[in-house]
Amino acid sequence: MRQRMIDKTAKAPTRALGRETRHLLLTVTPGALWILLFLVLPSVYLIGVAFMTTGPYGLPQRPLSLDAFERLAGFGFLGWSPGNLYTLLRSLGQTLVSTVLVVMIAYPVAYYITTCRARWRPLLLLAIVVPSWTNQVIRSFGWMNLLAPGTPLSELAVTLGLISPHLGLYPSNFAVTLGLVYNFLPFMVLPLYSAFEKLDVAQVEAAQDLYASPLRTFRHAIFPQTLPGLLAGIVLVAIPAFGMYVVSELLGGGKGMMLGNLVANQFAGGANWPLGAAGAILMILATFIGLYVMRRLGKRLGGGEQVVI
Amino acid sequence: MKKQTLRRCLAAFWWLTLAFLYLPLAVVVLFSFNSANSSARFADFSLRWYHQLMGNEAILSALGNSLVLAIVSALLAMIVGSVFGYGMYRHRRRRLGGLVLLIYLPLVLPDIVFGISEMAFFVQVHEWTGLLSPGLATMIIAHVTFQIPFVALIIYSRLVGLDPALFEAARDLYATPRQRLVHFMLPTFKPALMAAFFLSFTLSIDDFVISFFTAGPESATLPIYIWGAIRKGVSPEINAIAALMIAAVAVAALLSLAFGRRRAR
Repeated sequence: MRQRMIDKTAKAPTRALGRETRHLLLTVTPGALWILLFLVLPSVYLIGVAFMTTGPYGLPQRPLSLDAFERLAGFGFLGWSPGNLYTLLRSLGQTLVSTVLVVMIAYPVAYYITTCRARWRPLLLLAIVVPSWTNQVIRSFGWMNLLAPGTPLSELAVTLGLISPHLGLYPSNFAVTLGLVYNFLPFMVLPLYSAFEKLDVAQVEAAQDLYASPLRTFRHAIFPQTLPGLLAGIVLVAIPAFGMYVVSELLGGGKGMMLGNLVANQFAGGANWPLGAAGAILMILATFIGLYVMRRLGKRLGGGEQVVI
Repeated sequence: MKKQTLRRCLAAFWWLTLAFLYLPLAVVVLFSFNSANSSARFADFSLRWYHQLMGNEAILSALGNSLVLAIVSALLAMIVGSVFGYGMYRHRRRRLGGLVLLIYLPLVLPDIVFGISEMAFFVQVHEWTGLLSPGLATMIIAHVTFQIPFVALIIYSRLVGLDPALFEAARDLYATPRQRLVHFMLPTFKPALMAAFFLSFTLSIDDFVISFFTAGPESATLPIYIWGAIRKGVSPEINAIAALMIAAVAVAALLSLAFGRRRAR
């Protein structure tokens, strides 16, 4: 048996290699081609659109120019206006705030799950994940129901003097933050949980034996060990939050617009494809930064595949 | 003593988080039974909005579109993606960095960029060739694109967990490639293939943004219909469809729990 294998490789190493390569191509090509043709090519096309001029109906046309980027920075027919810049800053701010909030909620939750009995843990994780299986539109709609004018939560906010009477908590930037946290919490809990599960408890106990305060125990014994999970979670939360469309569209109103809405509007109502494409480039850049971080992370942890799922 | 208070605080925080996660969904379900047309006041229990749903042609056709899209795209993605995952596994010793990047791209690219670039691309291709006019076909193409990576990764991780000797055994017993496929690979992969199919199916049903931008006038799915209804002005009817979709998710959750338990035993 073994003899046969050796014989085979010894006789025709080059032919075997060729066959293997053919096998690789045969299996991988359909999927790779599909993604290349229907995602990479369109993305490249979109990037190209950003460097074209806006023609009639907002469609791209030659000559090539940087008009779209100037428009994105706020330079229009009527001089400079800060609208787009505000949108961009708001997207960054919302991403930052919601990511921080998600981390703050996810840490205790992930830790709590690991302290429960092993047979309950899958159930608890499922409980965290299930809401995200419902449609994004429906989830935001639920928050619209909860935060509309006249609802208990809005009334409470009125009583506390947070909003003026007869207004609701939505549409507002607050509602968008809430929606983002709601949407992305599971993406942080899962990687953090798997980090906590692998936690070396001996280090924590050592810290406690040395009378380290809980804060110091966390900082020196727990935090470094959960860092990979945290970083993976941040990538999984921050990138889609930065490109959010549905939540900010439904819960934000005109003053809660984010980059995703700005981009989408250029392809629907406002129709200025190059401007929209220029905005999309920012999101693609953010994505590649995230991918890079992920890859570095994967290398450090050995075999990056498991990090994502 | 101190440890116990910490644990109590953690438990309290856990239940608060769960309330936060389930409150919006509970409200949707509750108000789907509201007899009044209001999202602030629950008047009386009634099934009136569900009755209205049954007669709504647009919703029924949207449901049909959602199902066709999900089933066709999940089947295609299952075939293409699992072959891809197998190829990645078989040749995992080689440098596949580029392929891995290709797999991650659909996973990390924001929906909106994904949807818009496909829409712009399809419109351009349509202008040049007359093919790919927006509709179910373009939506299926788009959905398969984001499903392939999930399927490939599921199959890949399943294969990595297998004993490599199994493959050699099949080969050593002089099984032909066809026999290997029918008697060894398919039975071994059946659970993973099923999981991949259901995940793709759920991803497809769950998707709004990508569908929204690649849809044609006739191919609205349920989420697209709900989106339109919300934009036109909130009607309690939306609560009823949304509640039904939440119920479907709850059933899926129970099923996955049952399957998980069975496998654990």
